Amino acid sequence: MIPQNFEYSAPTSLKEALALIAKGDAKVLAGGMSLIPLMKLRLAAPEHVVDLSRIADLKSVHEDGKGEFPGGALHLGALATHFEIESSALVRSKCPLLAEVASNIGDVQVRNVGTIGGSTAHADPAADYPAGLMALEAKVHLTTAKGERTLPIDQFIVDALSTALKPNELVREIIVPVETRGTGFSYQKLAQPASGFAVVGVAARVRKSAGKVTFVRVGVTGLAGKAFRATRVEKLLEGTSGSAADIQKAAAQAAEGVDANTDLHASADYRRQMTKVFTARALTQALSRAD
Amino acid sequence: MKVGGSYTLPLLRQRAHELLQDPAILARCMPGCEDLKKIGPDEYEMQMKVVVSAVQGLFAGKVRITDQKPPESFRLIVEGSGKVGFMKGDGLLTLVPATVTTGVSILGSEGTEVRYEGDVQVGGTLAGVGQRLLDSTAKMIIRKFFEKLAEAGAETEQAAIVP
Repeated sequence: MIPQNFEYSAPTSLKEALALIAKGDAKVLAGGMSLIPLMKLRLAAPEHVVDLSRIADLKSVHEDGKGEFPGGALHLGALATHFEIESSALVRSKCPLLAEVASNIGDVQVRNVGTIGGSTAHADPAADYPAGLMALEAKVHLTTAKGERTLPIDQFIVDALSTALKPNELVREIIVPVETRGTGFSYQKLAQPASGFAVVGVAARVRKSAGKVTFVRVGVTGLAGKAFRATRVEKLLEGTSGSAADIQKAAAQAAEGVDANTDLHASADYRRQMTKVFTARALTQALSRAD
Repeated sequence: MKVGGSYTLPLLRQRAHELLQDPAILARCMPGCEDLKKIGPDEYEMQMKVVVSAVQGLFAGKVRITDQKPPESFRLIVEGSGKVGFMKGDGLLTLVPATVTTGVSILGSEGTEVRYEGDVQVGGTLAGVGQRLLDSTAKMIIRKFFEKLAEAGAETEQAAIVP
């Protein structure tokens, strides 16, 4: 329960932090909700830990009218905590799905300390954020000492616990679209009772116009090695009237063609079945909130 | 824990079988493999450094190949242990001629489907706290291995044709 010795740096500017990780052998500490337990169990024994918590730049949550998304974007600093996102008036009004996802993460202690950047960079296959970020088609802004790049979330998360992040690179911001008026949203999750992680979690966004469903986005976490967009479900529901039967028919495809995870808590078949059930629930609630 | 699946390589069956038993190729394709030495017929000693997210595990182990039926199948037995835990795996690999539908192959569409089916046991701290992640991580490592193998295979084919 006591980590191995390590060198500790707590830079106060992004520039300093980037210089410290430029060599590529330091481990970056954000909220520490994943890294610290691993270090205490000695499953991780980094020689150098760079703590980002004193960099004020990385905590900013703001709106930006131009650029990444046509309707405007919300920029969430990597160190914004789950609680800040869940309770931010700006996020709740401009991107309510993300606030709803954040409010479902772990427990209140974890939400007070854990960060969106840390969670996204860790890429746990059962984390909650990726479902929402997939449904939002979010982007990840990365930076090194030498330059910057922005990747769509489905290119950033490569596989279970693997991302496109290079050892000398930091997640600077997560960028999500400002939601179009009238968009319905929902995050429905089957939580593992002990850890709070998602056995499966489904995020949905829908729009309706003249009695027809015109827009559907569905993100699924927990089912496979990485979160993904259930495009079959989206296509099946778009253009229908969004009746209960339409929802059931579309949700039945949510786990189709997916190599499902299995563990002590839930077999692959159970996860597939729950994915269908929770997709239907998410779509139902999202449609009831759309107008 | 049961593992099973398949991966299609853009290689002829004979060639795929050879590659899967070539220590130099295996050392290159196994994620984190730092050393692979032949210690007897169909028996190898291996050092692996598995890096998954923040977890770094140093494993020392042995790989054995039995039930050789070239070129269609063989059994692979892997054992390893390190500070963070131990693992034991036993799997049957079956090679079936197949048609390649994706990826570039200089051989055209002829390929080989490698089917694997086996049992993996993981113990120690790693399994105690990582149970939830073992399945998805094992699948990821197997996927990476075959991706690299396809790459290595394509390179050696290229080298054989273009001197």
